[in-house]
Amino acid sequence: MLKFAPYLLKTLWRHRVRTGLTVSGSAVALFVFCFVDSVQEGLHRITTQSDSTLVVFQANKFCPATSHLPQDYDQIIKTMDGVRDVVPIQVFTNNCRASLDVVVFYGVLPEQVQKVRNFDLITGSWGEFENNQDAGIVGKSVADRRQLKIGDRFSVGDVTVTVAGIFASESRSEENYVYTHLDFLQRTRGLDLVGTVTQHEVFVDPTFDALKVASQIDDRFRAGPVETDTRSKGAFQASSLADLVELIELAHYLGYACIGLMIVLVSTTTFMAVQDRIKEHAVLQTLGYTGLRVFSLVLTESTLMSLLGGLVGVSLAMLTLASAGLSVGAEAVSIAFAPSVSLAVSGIVSSLVIGVAAGILPAFQAARTEIVLALRD
Amino acid sequence: MPLIEIRNLTKQFRKGDDVITPLRDVNLDIDERDFVSLMGPSGTGKSTLLNQIAGIDRPTEGTITVNGLEITQLSRRRLAHWRAEHVGYIFQTHNLIPVLTAYENVELPLLLLPFTRAERRRRVQVAMEAVDLLDRAGHYPRQLSGGQEQRVGIARAIVTDPTVVVADEPTGDLDPVTSAQILDLLQRLKSELHTTLLMVTHDIEAAAIAERQLRLDDGRLVESAVHAAGQGEPVC
Repeated sequence: MLKFAPYLLKTLWRHRVRTGLTVSGSAVALFVFCFVDSVQEGLHRITTQSDSTLVVFQANKFCPATSHLPQDYDQIIKTMDGVRDVVPIQVFTNNCRASLDVVVFYGVLPEQVQKVRNFDLITGSWGEFENNQDAGIVGKSVADRRQLKIGDRFSVGDVTVTVAGIFASESRSEENYVYTHLDFLQRTRGLDLVGTVTQHEVFVDPTFDALKVASQIDDRFRAGPVETDTRSKGAFQASSLADLVELIELAHYLGYACIGLMIVLVSTTTFMAVQDRIKEHAVLQTLGYTGLRVFSLVLTESTLMSLLGGLVGVSLAMLTLASAGLSVGAEAVSIAFAPSVSLAVSGIVSSLVIGVAAGILPAFQAARTEIVLALRD
Repeated sequence: MPLIEIRNLTKQFRKGDDVITPLRDVNLDIDERDFVSLMGPSGTGKSTLLNQIAGIDRPTEGTITVNGLEITQLSRRRLAHWRAEHVGYIFQTHNLIPVLTAYENVELPLLLLPFTRAERRRRVQVAMEAVDLLDRAGHYPRQLSGGQEQRVGIARAIVTDPTVVVADEPTGDLDPVTSAQILDLLQRLKSELHTTLLMVTHDIEAAAIAERQLRLDDGRLVESAVHAAGQGEPVC
């Protein structure tokens, strides 16, 4: 097929406005497709997290602002079979509803952060964070979005923290959180929550059945001062995002619509190109080109257009996702729109499949050209 | 044994309610290295017969055998392969691919055959030289005159060294001076390449350069003259 490259490329170049518009349309469709897919991927990442981490929340409460568990529950939970560690967390968010700029504060015992989170401190120091009560370490996405740097003070609601460090994490949604001292967040004006926390994060020994541990915790506190609801972290986050999940599922259809739109666009352009070149295809067949050869030439043309649009769209989407640090969140759980290799591969493979699908009918039409009739035209 | 044997060839097609029969029970033998011209009024089936021999159209009845191979029995795919290897087609309207240079147009049929890049280059150069257009190899069809375009078309037809070259009104789109040059070229190539050449034409002067002149009349073939190549006088 390489031998025919000059013919293919020059043919596409001949109608460069038409080709350019089709490539641009395909790029826009693939850009949207990648964005929608990145939300899907982000959702999938946080709802399928390891089952060996549990979240203990107050029973029958759904918003972090309304869940108040005794902080000392951690001491009781720690004694249970299979529990490796417990982290009491006070959560504060500027917006419990779905929002594109959710800032979530996690108040944690400072010495526990490094132990339970695998953060890579890009700038700043752990010492600064641990030794200053109003210090916070800020996720990279929040820092990028709000243009924060070390030493900056920033406020959300009544919470004002000084940036002691900026971290990156393998889990992109973690980069949308700000970690502060637990005491600091509990004492913040307007909260006054000393002695209570929003939730406990429980790390279960992988050799134990985490669900059994969860039942054990809930059983233990059923008759306690505050009843608990314990679930795996993935299930907890899925439940927190329940409203968003429906919207995201709906957005999935937007992704399919982009694919459909792109098929129609590339197919229309290829059909027009074939219609314009009926005689040319007849000439090729007169020279000895088989129907199959003409079919594959047209199919390659449509695939090239689609692939080019796909490459442009996917590249733009990856750049935007990497630089914008976008996320959507609800109930203090955030879904990061993050670029990934799998996203890029799925975008490019989709554009290839679209190119082939869009080219089949026009290619078949070109291959079945009646030579004599076409030459007479 | 003739190179091309046509037996009881009939071609019919429908046009609305009418059945048109441009070729009716045609029988014809063409020897290797013959130069045959085919004349006749418009609509008498000249091009139809040419297209049957070139393998781009199929008869309703009858057979065509070229070099011992009955091409009327070949599948669409095998027929295409056969054309690539054995037929050079010169069109009336040149039909060059507009996005390709003269060189690339001439190279097009070679891409289908098992030649190396170097061999393709050598053959294209020989063909372009034969039509005296080597200096225009990098030109696009729009940058060439009608006569030059037709010469590129001729180079494309001879570049594979085909068994038979067919030309459908090769001078029909050209002015008299250019027509004369193209006919000279065809005659010269015929004698140099020793190929079998079948030419459809309206032009009596063009037909006269052929060794055999055939006429199609109401779908039937009539042999009008046979004379030695390059001579004006019929020999039988």
